Amino acid sequence: MTEPIVRVERLTKVFRSYRREEGLRAALKSLVRRKSSEVAAVADVTFTIGRGEMVGYIGANGAGKSTTIKMLTGILTPTSGDVVGNGFVPWRDRTRYVATIGVVFGQRTQLWWDIAVVESFRLLKEIYGLSEAEYRERMALFDKVLGLGAYLHQPVRKLSLGERMRCDLAASLLHRPPLLFLDEPTIGLDIVAKANVREFLEEINRQEGTTVLLTTHDLADIETLCRRVIVIDHGKLLFDGALDELRDRILPITSIVFDVKRAPDARDLEWNGRPIREVGLHRYRLDLDRREAAPATAVKEIVNRFDVSDLKIEEPEIEAVVKRIYQEGIS
Amino acid sequence: MLYFSQYAKARLEYRLDFFSSVFASFLGTAAAFGFLLIVFSRVPAVHGWTFEEMVFLYGFSLIPLGIFNVLSWNLYLFSDRYLIEGRFDRVLVRPVNSIFQVLFEAFRLESLQESVTGIAAVVWASRKMGLSFSAPDVVLFVLWTFCGAAIYLAIFIGLTATSFWIEDRIGIVPPVFNLMQFGRYPLTIYDGWIRFTLSFVIPFAFASFYPVVHFLKRGEFAREFWAVPLIAAACLAIAWTIWDRGVRRYHSTGS
Ligand SMILES: Nc1ncnc2c1ncn2[C@@H]1O[C@H](COP(=O)(O)OP(=O)(O)O)[C@@H](O)[C@H]1O
Ligand SMILES: [Mg+2]
Repeated sequence: MTEPIVRVERLTKVFRSYRREEGLRAALKSLVRRKSSEVAAVADVTFTIGRGEMVGYIGANGAGKSTTIKMLTGILTPTSGDVVGNGFVPWRDRTRYVATIGVVFGQRTQLWWDIAVVESFRLLKEIYGLSEAEYRERMALFDKVLGLGAYLHQPVRKLSLGERMRCDLAASLLHRPPLLFLDEPTIGLDIVAKANVREFLEEINRQEGTTVLLTTHDLADIETLCRRVIVIDHGKLLFDGALDELRDRILPITSIVFDVKRAPDARDLEWNGRPIREVGLHRYRLDLDRREAAPATAVKEIVNRFDVSDLKIEEPEIEAVVKRIYQEGIS
Repeated sequence: MLYFSQYAKARLEYRLDFFSSVFASFLGTAAAFGFLLIVFSRVPAVHGWTFEEMVFLYGFSLIPLGIFNVLSWNLYLFSDRYLIEGRFDRVLVRPVNSIFQVLFEAFRLESLQESVTGIAAVVWASRKMGLSFSAPDVVLFVLWTFCGAAIYLAIFIGLTATSFWIEDRIGIVPPVFNLMQFGRYPLTIYDGWIRFTLSFVIPFAFASFYPVVHFLKRGEFAREFWAVPLIAAACLAIAWTIWDRGVRRYHSTGS
């Protein structure tokens, strides 16, 4: 791997929150000595991202995903730890750094609320110092891929969620940043809009080599876009690696489901000490641990042994994998 | 800068609205001059200041104040709009200094009438008193006006930046605002401690009173007059530092 574009080392953010007490006396007392509780939203997280990678950053609600993104984009100053992105320390070299990144928060638009979308884009053109030619070329691309043209003259507040997200994405990429951070870019979108956003991201990543770090609740985003995932929980990094590897580690089960024409002999409903279960009318299933046996051998045996009319192999859904992580952690 | 004119253009679409707010703003300014007129209809001078001199002082202070009022709108709303709503996130991911973005994201262009009215008042009072200004005087006048606006802005930026630390809205802005009004009258009418505060603690007097005394050629406070740019620079430096520290403490909002 070449020099990473993002390097995160022992990153930690502790939020201190003050509980507000009821009543005047308590309020006065709290002026002197406030009761505070500390939450480590992100604790000791280390990873690097290579140029051109698309990495999924996943975790349950409140795991610390947004907090990480906010530190990586220079919004929050960490309690401790280091971040270098595009050669800058985000919170220290903020103005120079943010000129080289794109940011989208799905929960909240980055555009100006009450002016027409196109005015927002013109403002951004000035902010990023783009030439008229660059700007036009960019807008033409966005119009082609995202179909922005239709609502360019509406104010942001009048757009639907899907339209707004497309505008936000376009806005974040107007200045061709090599590095893009997306916090829940598909939240609340319908299936068509989601697919649209994914296609666009894929396209940008392929065409321009944009490095992307994205958080999401929709694991289909990850499956279509990211070969690598980072999982955090309660602020701690649980896993960093390939999606397949995550599946293998957490749920190394492959199921072979097959239909038979004739009822099989009860003695045959077992393979290598694993039961073959009846799961429907003439339908049976064998769950295999991939680490112990190659599915192909089992398939061969099954076809030999039974009068098979149909057969398919099922990998565990990534949802199931993640649910398992949230429940049990990673061993 | 082009960026801001773009924003202004988008905002100024409602002309009629704009003219009526200019008019409303002007009525407020006119009322203040009316008050001076009433006071001086009874007495010829207040603490050695004639009506014309008072008009000059009040008018002069309106010029930087107008500039300040054009830009300061978001400072009053900063805590609610930017910190509590979390809108400051967006500001921080744009490659423009955050304070500039906040100042220029909302303006009250109608307050520019105060500067214009102020200039008119100064010209009228100068004619009436037979004051004449040399070319260097005019240059100084313009420069000191901008210093004054810088002092007003810096003080309120510093004050606004305290909301990075103090979450609940507390009442420090109104008293300081009153103090700013005090600074627009002859300093010599006040007690020692107000004078001290206006000169050394929150130096509003350097934005209006000290410059005016010089321009009126009253021969007092020459030292203070020449200190105006220094005071302005110091105020900006302090405000900048507080703001910067504040930004580092910004903790956004949990979503
Ligand atoms: N601005 C904040 N102030 C105080 N606590 C916060 C703030 N932002 C997040 N938190 C807390 O930090 C933890 C992680 O939050 P967050 O990063 O938003 O999680 P995620 O994006 O993974 O859902 C949560 O417990 C949340 O309540
Ligand atoms: Mg979040």
